[in-house]
Amino acid sequence: MYYQEKKTIASILSGVLVLVAYIMYGYSKYSEVGESLLGDLKFWATAMLVAIGGGIILIIFIQIIFHIILAIANEVSKEVSKKIAGENGKNTFEEFEIAETEDEMDKLIALKAMRNAFVVVGLGFVIALVTLYLEMAPAIMLNIMFMSFSLGSIFEGFSQLYYYRRGVSNG
Amino acid sequence: MAKFVISNNIRKLRFYNEEMTQQELAKRTGVTRQTIVAIENSKYSPTLELAFRIAEVFRTKVEDIFTYEIIEEKNKKEEDLK
Repeated sequence: MYYQEKKTIASILSGVLVLVAYIMYGYSKYSEVGESLLGDLKFWATAMLVAIGGGIILIIFIQIIFHIILAIANEVSKEVSKKIAGENGKNTFEEFEIAETEDEMDKLIALKAMRNAFVVVGLGFVIALVTLYLEMAPAIMLNIMFMSFSLGSIFEGFSQLYYYRRGVSNG
Repeated sequence: MAKFVISNNIRKLRFYNEEMTQQELAKRTGVTRQTIVAIENSKYSPTLELAFRIAEVFRTKVEDIFTYEIIEEKNKKEEDLK
């Protein structure tokens, strides 16, 4: 598995954690308070803002841990490859260093994955509008919008993994 | 529009160029090893710029490295060979 794939998995993981934490918090509060919570837009807005802020911090934290682990793995691999190759052998350590740069294929995959994410967000927006048309509580619309952004982000990660495994064309 | 396939002989060229590794080719062309692997397995078609850089590394022309075939023609050729 390459560096970009590992980084994508770390992003997916943080996205899933934030979404699950938000759903659990929202559901527990709803169970506690009841249907009247659907009228409290301030509560939902606060919960979403906290989830967004917490999500950013969590993503940064996971990326830091990921890079620390990668640096340790690099050092271990460097020592192991030196011992295996010996003094005259080829050192394969360079592979990890160069893999951390983003090249044309990485950029193309990122663009295509982002397009897929926009489709998910767009669908979520339409569903949110339908709930308003059906005169459901605005809190439901807000939650659908929030979920669609979160799911879009997660879907973007899975799209990237798919393209890295199956390949991608320029057309 | 007809379907097409772009194939290449980069693996063979690497072998005949002092058994160059994928990592070395990646470094000399400024991309990741992952990209070179994807190109060799026809999972990614490089940009013109990258194709020319690869050709420059092997000191050959782009058309000597990459071939473009329309799938219907390819299937017909395979049937003729049989």
